Amino acid sequence: MVAGAALALAWRPALAPIAPPPAASFAAPQIARGAVLASAGYCATCHTAKGGQPYAGGYAMETPFGVIHSTNITPDVETGIGAWSEAAFGRAMREGVARDGSHLFPAFPYEHFSRLSDDDIAALYAYFMTRPPVQAEAPRNTLPFPLNVRLLQAGWKLLFFRPQRDEPRADRSAEWNRGAYLAEGLAHCGACHTPRNALGAERRAQAYAGAAIDHWIAPPLDASNPSPVAWDVDELVAYLSTGVTRYHGTVAGPMAAVTRGIAQLPPEDIRAIAVYFADLDGAAARADATPAAVATALARSAAGGDDAGAPLYAAACASCHYNGADGVNPLRPELALGSAVHLDDPTNLIQVILFGIDALDGAPGVVMPAFGRALSDADVARLAAYLRATRTDRAPWPDLDKKVAQVRATAPGAE
Amino acid sequence: MSRVQALAEAGHPLSRRSFLVAATGGALAFGFMRFAGAAMDPAVPGNTPAAALGPEFAPGLWFSIDSEGTVSVNIIRAEMGQHVGTALARILADELEADWQRVRVIYVDTDPKWGLMVTGGSWSVWQTFPVFSRAGAAGRIALIEAGAKLLGVSPAQCTARAGKVIAGSRSIAYGEIARRGGPARSFSAEELARLPLKPVAERRLIGRPTQALDIARKVDGSGLYGIDAKVPGMVYARPKLPPTRNGAKVVSIDDHAARAVKGYRQCLALDDPSETVPGWVLVIADSYPAALRASQLVQVQWTAGPGADVSEPQLQDHARTLIDRADAGVRLDVGSEDPAPLFQSAASTVEQVYTTATVLHFQLEPVNALAFEKDGVMEIHTGNQWQSLILPTLAKALGRAETSIVLRTYLLGGGFGRRLNGDYTVPAALAAKALGVPVKLVLTREDDCHFDSVRSPSVQRVRMAFGADGEVQAMEHHACAGWPTQVMAGALLSKGLDDGRYDPFAIAGADHWYDVGRQLVRAIPNDLANSSFRPGWLRSVGPGWTNWALESFMDEAAHHVRQDPLAFRLKLLNGKGRNAGSAPSAVGGALRQAEVLRRAAQRAGWGSALPKDSGLGIGTSFGQERDMPTWGACVARVRVDRASGKVTVEKLTIVVDAGTIVDPDGALAQTQGAALWGLSMALHEGTEFVNGQVRDANLNTYTPLRINDVPALDISFVDSAEVPVGLGEPATTIVAPAIANAIFAAVGARVRDLPITAAAVRAALAT
Amino acid sequence: MTTRFTINGRAATSEAEGDTPLLWIIRDDLGLTGTKFGCGIGMCGACTVHVGGRATRACITPLAAVDGAAVTTIEGLDPQAAHPVQQVWRELQVPQCGYCQSGQIMQTVALLQDFPQPTDADIDAVMAGSLCRCMTYVRIREAIKKAAAAMAPAAAPGASS
Repeated sequence: MVAGAALALAWRPALAPIAPPPAASFAAPQIARGAVLASAGYCATCHTAKGGQPYAGGYAMETPFGVIHSTNITPDVETGIGAWSEAAFGRAMREGVARDGSHLFPAFPYEHFSRLSDDDIAALYAYFMTRPPVQAEAPRNTLPFPLNVRLLQAGWKLLFFRPQRDEPRADRSAEWNRGAYLAEGLAHCGACHTPRNALGAERRAQAYAGAAIDHWIAPPLDASNPSPVAWDVDELVAYLSTGVTRYHGTVAGPMAAVTRGIAQLPPEDIRAIAVYFADLDGAAARADATPAAVATALARSAAGGDDAGAPLYAAACASCHYNGADGVNPLRPELALGSAVHLDDPTNLIQVILFGIDALDGAPGVVMPAFGRALSDADVARLAAYLRATRTDRAPWPDLDKKVAQVRATAPGAE
Repeated sequence: MSRVQALAEAGHPLSRRSFLVAATGGALAFGFMRFAGAAMDPAVPGNTPAAALGPEFAPGLWFSIDSEGTVSVNIIRAEMGQHVGTALARILADELEADWQRVRVIYVDTDPKWGLMVTGGSWSVWQTFPVFSRAGAAGRIALIEAGAKLLGVSPAQCTARAGKVIAGSRSIAYGEIARRGGPARSFSAEELARLPLKPVAERRLIGRPTQALDIARKVDGSGLYGIDAKVPGMVYARPKLPPTRNGAKVVSIDDHAARAVKGYRQCLALDDPSETVPGWVLVIADSYPAALRASQLVQVQWTAGPGADVSEPQLQDHARTLIDRADAGVRLDVGSEDPAPLFQSAASTVEQVYTTATVLHFQLEPVNALAFEKDGVMEIHTGNQWQSLILPTLAKALGRAETSIVLRTYLLGGGFGRRLNGDYTVPAALAAKALGVPVKLVLTREDDCHFDSVRSPSVQRVRMAFGADGEVQAMEHHACAGWPTQVMAGALLSKGLDDGRYDPFAIAGADHWYDVGRQLVRAIPNDLANSSFRPGWLRSVGPGWTNWALESFMDEAAHHVRQDPLAFRLKLLNGKGRNAGSAPSAVGGALRQAEVLRRAAQRAGWGSALPKDSGLGIGTSFGQERDMPTWGACVARVRVDRASGKVTVEKLTIVVDAGTIVDPDGALAQTQGAALWGLSMALHEGTEFVNGQVRDANLNTYTPLRINDVPALDISFVDSAEVPVGLGEPATTIVAPAIANAIFAAVGARVRDLPITAAAVRAALAT
Repeated sequence: MTTRFTINGRAATSEAEGDTPLLWIIRDDLGLTGTKFGCGIGMCGACTVHVGGRATRACITPLAAVDGAAVTTIEGLDPQAAHPVQQVWRELQVPQCGYCQSGQIMQTVALLQDFPQPTDADIDAVMAGSLCRCMTYVRIREAIKKAAAAMAPAAAPGASS
């Protein structure tokens, strides 16, 4: 009985190929809305290979299970989605099933996209079908057997996949509900910020508790976020629309592309996402604590300390990261307030020290240099230990030297 | 023999005497001549001198006047932050009665006619003052004579002022005189020496505030340093440095991996007959980043020379062993009988040992050179402090005559003595010769530090014998360190007792001006240091360590006999006997040192009450050498944190008597810099040898003073009309002992090792 | 890969590898040698330029990082080299050897943007990354304060609005 049900779910029919619809068959406003949605879902981030054509796929995603390459979603008939009907597109988005009936890997966040409205699916379809077609076959994935058997993905779905449409919550504002729709669906925030189980499925019980991904830490988005100042609506709006905040530093790492995408949404949508997460992390209840938290952070930074990392910090970091007694300048990210030094895992801090932030990411047009080739593992460890000791009241990070070497070796761009 | 040749020969041979009196002799022949290749005008963008306008009046070597009245003063010193061209030109322009607005300075390229080219020892103003004063005065006299003739009056009716010869209401500009043929007049050396110089009261430029001519180009990015030199078609080189400074040989080079680097050309193992850079391999590429990338991929195997296993403790233990050997080193002639017997009979004695650790120059511009052959001449574009020292070495390395090698002059991104050793020019020139293309060699910061000619570590033993009433009867000072002059310029060693030769730049300072009864000063070369690395001259050279020992010891001696450290010193600075001083440069002798000491103490509030764990300490010095004393005194005010041992220097009060001050703001700048160097070496610097290499090669671990640790400075000069002496170094040597003595005053902890560490203070507190 | 950015207001492109330090592009390819090489590890400040108006150490900034950015060097700070900071630097004769001074000036301009009337603590923290081996620190501090005064809005404090 169970086996029969599983098999029934496992087998999905192919949907008939179509001739690519002419561009003129889509309304311009619909295409434009699709463009915004594609940005906010940052589709291009995964569906574009480094230096490749937009949406032509081939981007290699390292997962705990092996390397998966993204697919070509340009309207090329042979290698892309040119022959896909809107129904086939919708099924892929919502159920993770390709037009030919094969199952997609859950690296593609269809569990989130299952929430998308018909209108949004249609707009995305209109947008992608009007992109220039690019003929590009995705490289082979390196998943080991049996994970590479797409049929087995059906079993995974059986275990973990619950297609859902959001029911608006009556006890929350329309704005909150709009935010939930965008965050849970299109923006698929949980895909990075929610921890996954051994088989790679999001642990729903720990939604937004933070997770390691792509050699970075996606910090918790719930009340367990360790930043001294709560992420309130204003901070979240600033972060998602500009990448720069007063009390939480600037965006870096994989999140930078997310912010660039979400920033394309209308301001009211960005605000809605902010309202949703500010509720999730309980910012309102902590609002009164902000001035004291800022004062404590500035006092910690001013006190500095005399340990071995102090001269390094003074020479290499303070010229940009120092804030005076008068408050925090968002373009001088206050390390005592950012999550990087407060997280249990020093990865993010080490990432930024080693590889910097380029002009495209973080504060727009501004660069954090890369100290990777300048400082030894021991230097970076010294610096990280110094910041941990002087900017927080948390336990020292263990094995920093090893951790720095690890991040240096595994991060993209490492030599 | 022409006069120019005679001048060159008088200045050139590398003798100790000529080193100190370089270019003070010589004659001037007036007539027209034009200098090609005058190298660097620090006041114009790009530093390329403009051509002179019209006929030029060039009376001898040192200056010329063109038809527009522009006075070009030739400077043979290196511009490394002292604004030396401005100071020297003002000496000449003052006597010449030139219009300062029309004076420019030209830092010249090498040429035998300039005689000895060296910038060091704080000598530039002292050595040049008499030469340039007389050159200016001779020019003024000749211009007055020629101007008078053109005006149709007698010279006696004329005066010179602001670039004009004036007779009553009529005048003629210097430029006009030059345009109309100029004077034809010559002065013999004897005549020059007898020329009357202007009385002090009539000086119009010397001692007056001025804007240094090199400043503007240093704030708009257009000044050119050696590292900025370029020429079409040049390739870039970064060295792969062997494990030892001396004697290393290349066994094999594997550049397989480097060949994948875009722009990589080749590796070049240098064949260096001068043995300046044994075992160096240059990685050659089309760009510097490519050279850097490739160099990280090139594998070189060497056999090491001596010193690969030598570390700082061995160097210092060796020094201690040598000091204990009576036959080691050379005793200086300080006009005294052997003090040893007095130590047997003394009522009491004090003996202490002081050390200083290895110090890096860390001049901010890493050493570099661009070399290429053009028209039969090997041109080397670089900043250098001692061209006359490296030219013979280059000639040997390249197998060509010195006369076919020229060093073109650039701004120096810091000298501090590093660029007295021009070793970095040799690999560039060898590569240019081998490859037949221009080669731009740039050392990375780490390369620069690894083979810096560091200030050698030192060990010194000082002792004093006292009579029953605490009077000083005898003193001995034994100092052992690497000897830069022995390693790099042997001809300049000084003669001590028993025909021994010693490095004056490794002992000066110990032959002080205190009246201590019988005295012995012994300089000992640390042969292990000399063979393991290449000891160098570093700002303030020997006094940088001898004065650390001497002035720390004077404090300990004062406390031993329960006297105030100020009063103890003043009593010994009595100006008697050989410490009376003599003309020309040391008039007043020890009494002038006593005076700066008194003034500094008074300004700093010596004897006043201070908060707990704070203290005042004194250091004083006569600068670099007895025959060019610059009298200086420092009072340091420090606060000591007993728990951590951390020393905070709150204020340095410094008084200097350097005779006539030519450029007051420049003098202040030099003294500020020298004092902070002293502070930096006292508390913030210092490295050590570990298996033949310095431990610190960059700022991640080497921590020179930065702006956040700068104390209050109170610097003043004694108003004086005496001979102007040097200012670049002397304030360096008085700071560290003043700090150590202040630490003792604050918390009773005596530190005897430089740099002073918090751990050492804690340890001293615990004893 | 082509990197596009502006340098002193003019468009620039470079085909060099993306990990090439910006410093060498500026000095060797663009010929702007006012920006200096000191330590190569971002700890002396001699290579300080502005990227997007912020003081940035060019020696450890990969070329690729400035794609799309606006870079300003000492040569582009003011067309007449008459930025108030440069004027004060001349007036007080701050430079000795001068090698670090382009960086000191660029860092100071950035300092005064963020801290128009800097305290000693502000100066200590922001300028400590700029090493001056000649130790012109006393004058640097004095010049910063003087430049701050010169650049302060002329309006009298307390004027009604």
